[in-house]
Amino acid sequence: MEGLKVWRLSSSIARPSNLRQLFGLGTSSGLVRCLDNGAAAANATNTRFPSRNRRASTSTSTSTNTSDREAVRAIRLKKVEQLRSKGTEPYGYKWDRSHSAKELQEIYKDLNNGEELDSESHHVSIAGRIVARRAFGKLAFLTLRDDSGTIQLYCEKERLLNDQFEQLKTLVDIGDILGASGSIKRTEKGELSVKVDSFSILTKSLLPLPDKFHGLTDIDKRYRQRYVDMIANPEVADIFRKRAKIMREIRKTVESRGFVEVETPVLQGAAGGAEARPFVTYHNSLGRDLYLRIATELHLKRMLVGGFEKVYEIGRIFRNEGISTRHNPEFTTIEMYEAYSDYQSMMDMAEEIVTQCALEVNGKLTIDYQGTEIQLQRPWRRETMHNLVKEVTGVDFTELEDDLKVAKDVVLKAVGLGLDSKDKSSIEACPSLGHLLNEVFEIFVEPKLLQPTFVLDYPIEISPLAKPHRRHAGLTERFELFICGRELANAFSELTDPLDQRARLEEQVRQHNKKRAEAVSVTDGTGEKKNIDEDSMYEVTLDDDFLTALEYGMPPASGMGLGIDRLVMLLTDSASIRDVIAFPVLKISQ
Amino acid sequence: MSITEFIDKYRSLHVGEHVENTEISLAGRILNKRSSSSKLYFYDLHGNGAKIQVMADARHSNMDENEFCKYHSGVKRGDIVGICGFPGKSQRGELSIFPRSLVVLTPCLHMLPRHTVTSNSDEAQSEKKTRNHSWTPGITRNPETNILRDQETRYRQRYLDLMLNSEVQKIFGTRAKIISYSRDFLDNLGFIEVETPAMTMTAGGAAARPFITHHNELNMKLYMRISPELYLKKLVVGGLDRVYEIGKVFRNEGMDLTHLPEFTMFEFYMAYADYNDLMGIIEKLLSGMVKEMTGSHKIKYHGNGFDSEPVEIDFTPPFRRIDLIEEIESRANLSIPKDLSSETANKFLLEACEKFDVKCLAPHTTARLLDKLVGHFLEETCINPTFIINHPEIMSPLAKWHRSKPGLTERFELFVNKKELCNAYTELNDPQVQRQRFAEQLKDRQLGDDEAMVLDESFCSCLEYGLPPTAGLGMGIDRLAMLLTDSPNVKEVILFPAMKPQD
Repeated sequence: MEGLKVWRLSSSIARPSNLRQLFGLGTSSGLVRCLDNGAAAANATNTRFPSRNRRASTSTSTSTNTSDREAVRAIRLKKVEQLRSKGTEPYGYKWDRSHSAKELQEIYKDLNNGEELDSESHHVSIAGRIVARRAFGKLAFLTLRDDSGTIQLYCEKERLLNDQFEQLKTLVDIGDILGASGSIKRTEKGELSVKVDSFSILTKSLLPLPDKFHGLTDIDKRYRQRYVDMIANPEVADIFRKRAKIMREIRKTVESRGFVEVETPVLQGAAGGAEARPFVTYHNSLGRDLYLRIATELHLKRMLVGGFEKVYEIGRIFRNEGISTRHNPEFTTIEMYEAYSDYQSMMDMAEEIVTQCALEVNGKLTIDYQGTEIQLQRPWRRETMHNLVKEVTGVDFTELEDDLKVAKDVVLKAVGLGLDSKDKSSIEACPSLGHLLNEVFEIFVEPKLLQPTFVLDYPIEISPLAKPHRRHAGLTERFELFICGRELANAFSELTDPLDQRARLEEQVRQHNKKRAEAVSVTDGTGEKKNIDEDSMYEVTLDDDFLTALEYGMPPASGMGLGIDRLVMLLTDSASIRDVIAFPVLKISQ
Repeated sequence: MSITEFIDKYRSLHVGEHVENTEISLAGRILNKRSSSSKLYFYDLHGNGAKIQVMADARHSNMDENEFCKYHSGVKRGDIVGICGFPGKSQRGELSIFPRSLVVLTPCLHMLPRHTVTSNSDEAQSEKKTRNHSWTPGITRNPETNILRDQETRYRQRYLDLMLNSEVQKIFGTRAKIISYSRDFLDNLGFIEVETPAMTMTAGGAAARPFITHHNELNMKLYMRISPELYLKKLVVGGLDRVYEIGKVFRNEGMDLTHLPEFTMFEFYMAYADYNDLMGIIEKLLSGMVKEMTGSHKIKYHGNGFDSEPVEIDFTPPFRRIDLIEEIESRANLSIPKDLSSETANKFLLEACEKFDVKCLAPHTTARLLDKLVGHFLEETCINPTFIINHPEIMSPLAKWHRSKPGLTERFELFVNKKELCNAYTELNDPQVQRQRFAEQLKDRQLGDDEAMVLDESFCSCLEYGLPPTAGLGMGIDRLAMLLTDSPNVKEVILFPAMKPQD
């Protein structure tokens, strides 16, 4: 990332007088760039470096940085005026490119050092941002970066018309966007270059790019000004290119199997399909509150009732919950539903989607995620939640009687020692055997599921939309896919019995309201626990229209939701969800 | 197999031919049941937009006769069934499946609405008509042939609409194709699909009233996006030269035949290109799409409602281009003052509106007056796709000033059947000028135009890092879907449209 560190040069050439000094310096010390790198390493915090006379007065404080930034801006604004006074528009209208940098690197990869191709057929035109420059008396090298990669501009004074070389030295800064055309040359040092015979400033940049953006203490800023992060660190932009590839591959995979893409509403009269606090908004002309969807499930199932047999939606989901490295209030999922199939078929689908995407992005099925090697070769392990819990904790839930209290005692006896108080109290709070099993699973098993694992047959109490298991009472035909200890997908044979569904949703509403009432009374009593219990202070209503739709008959079906942000994290080795969402929600900056 | 596959495979059977040695399994919904005796039942089995006949004959069934009679008398119209049996054609030539076994997979608990026609013969006739008239994109539809015709029910209970009205699945299939065609088109040009936030701190990029919501834990006011524009340009600044997004956009406004609070927007941005390039690209995209989906460049559209004659819309490129100011001047025989930001211009346009009886509600900003004149004189003439180009700066705060015409911008709007379909421009990338434009919008806002754009400081400072010359375009997917599915009402092309509360 050598090129990145030269940003400070943009401020160094701020004043024409300094510029000349610098170029002089360049000839004596060889390369400005070398010096610059040294300075960067030595002065990670003293970012403003510019020139010798300035450095003395430059402290590490931010206020100085800000004023430097303003100074640079003022100088560059002057350059904008200068250009206009010469009849050159510093914000151009268009540029016809013949090639991208990558294409040129590819086409001319066999060109020998020192070789030039000057004929008409090797005349090329490119455009991009200047990210580094070195200048000598009559020669200047600029590194230009476009969407595809970088290439050097080799600028000789004699070759450029009129005062273009002077312009290049005095008016072009690092950060500017240039269009250039010329012939092809590989320098003696082996750098493929466009030997420029004309160029044009397409966009004059006004602000210098910060130094060492990546390692800055203010990580927040990387997300707030993502574009700066992307300019300074091209690998950041690569994540979004990979994200696009993953999206395309997912669509390709499901569409090749006959799934049709549909769009269901974001704004809804009632938010259902999951248990989460929704965002509320108000529609002026309808004069009513609307909720932002927390899942697409209930509407997609209506499509199956309507006669679509394979549908999917890739879209934004909104949950009014805390933010973390794994949670953003808006995130993207794919939900898909297939008539006349069961959850086994969705396991194949999950394997297919994830492996296709891994191959598309990484070219292989063994990937590294934050230092852990993940093997995506199919088939993946399929194991019931009961067996996994038994395997890890030794507690066999199938042998437990129906007595919740006894069960809790057994669990606490078996694993209680390793528990912190928070986990202990959540175990004690479990209202049913199913909740207890799930709690134990989440605490002890989940973090251990690094390699892809389908966890099967969830308890009915925590699966209100899943079909009862065809063989095991109290369980449902549901799986969740775990990779790296994280849930990536959730799927079931869909519950199609409208009466059962109504009973389960009503029970959910009842439970929620109970929690809510408790929260209210706790708050009244102590006034302290308010923040914790606010979690359940939102309203949950029954989606009656969904139940009516089920009464018209939904075919047997399976459905799956898969978190795309998490999949992108996995396949791009990104630690935080904020690395894969271009503009994540952040706390209000101070 | 699916019903469609079944039809494809066995459509060439001869009349009366049975293929008894093959075993096929099918599933679908029964939408018609007739019995000629207790031992012979006929069903229409529907699935994924296709239909075949089920000829359940006790002689072929695995059940004994009594069981058969009992079971089939309990099968109802609306039930979802699974069938194992063999294919064949009836004596009347109808492709059928002859079940060895038939099981109800999901019973329907309600009576399905029937075709609401008075006499039986009419019903037979119109059912026949439905069968023969198989709708495809580009031709007109006739809502009278629908089985379920009550609009409220159709939109509120879309699943019934999809189930009973054969066209409706095709409408949403067409919509899906429009989107996938657009994606493929841009992917082939090297664009990448990105996602920008739907909830933001400021609602910028367009002039509209936003939805407001609140994040509890962060205790933060958030707006639902009214346009993805500013974020997409930030990504271009970040080095992604060709980006697009297809996604929901939200506007807290009234609902009518062409407006709903949430709709789907297609926006793309292309570095180093200008609005001339985009006119070429969008011509190619739309004409290619119409050609591929309808087989021709011309479509029929009930642009004035189903009561009037349909109009023909011709997407053959190149599309007509008209210059906004010049065209108003020539049609209205006016000479509009060149300095549109002046008081004189405002007064002139106000008088012009009065003269031609063009209504414009207060506030009478120059931009609003001009917009009304465009509506009156130009939009009316745009049946076939027409680019209205070179809008004045005062109407276009995010568009770049025209390279040779002072006071104007390099912008176009594409109108089809008098409605705006696309809006595009060479993007304004001079941060100083952008700030001035926002300041002028603020003036309009202070005059009471609450649809004037608000300043987005983070966007302006982003521009200071340098946005390459870029052209961008936004297109309403719903409006395009309306055109290609002969739908004069936007609710026809949105699965679950927002509806007034039912009380």
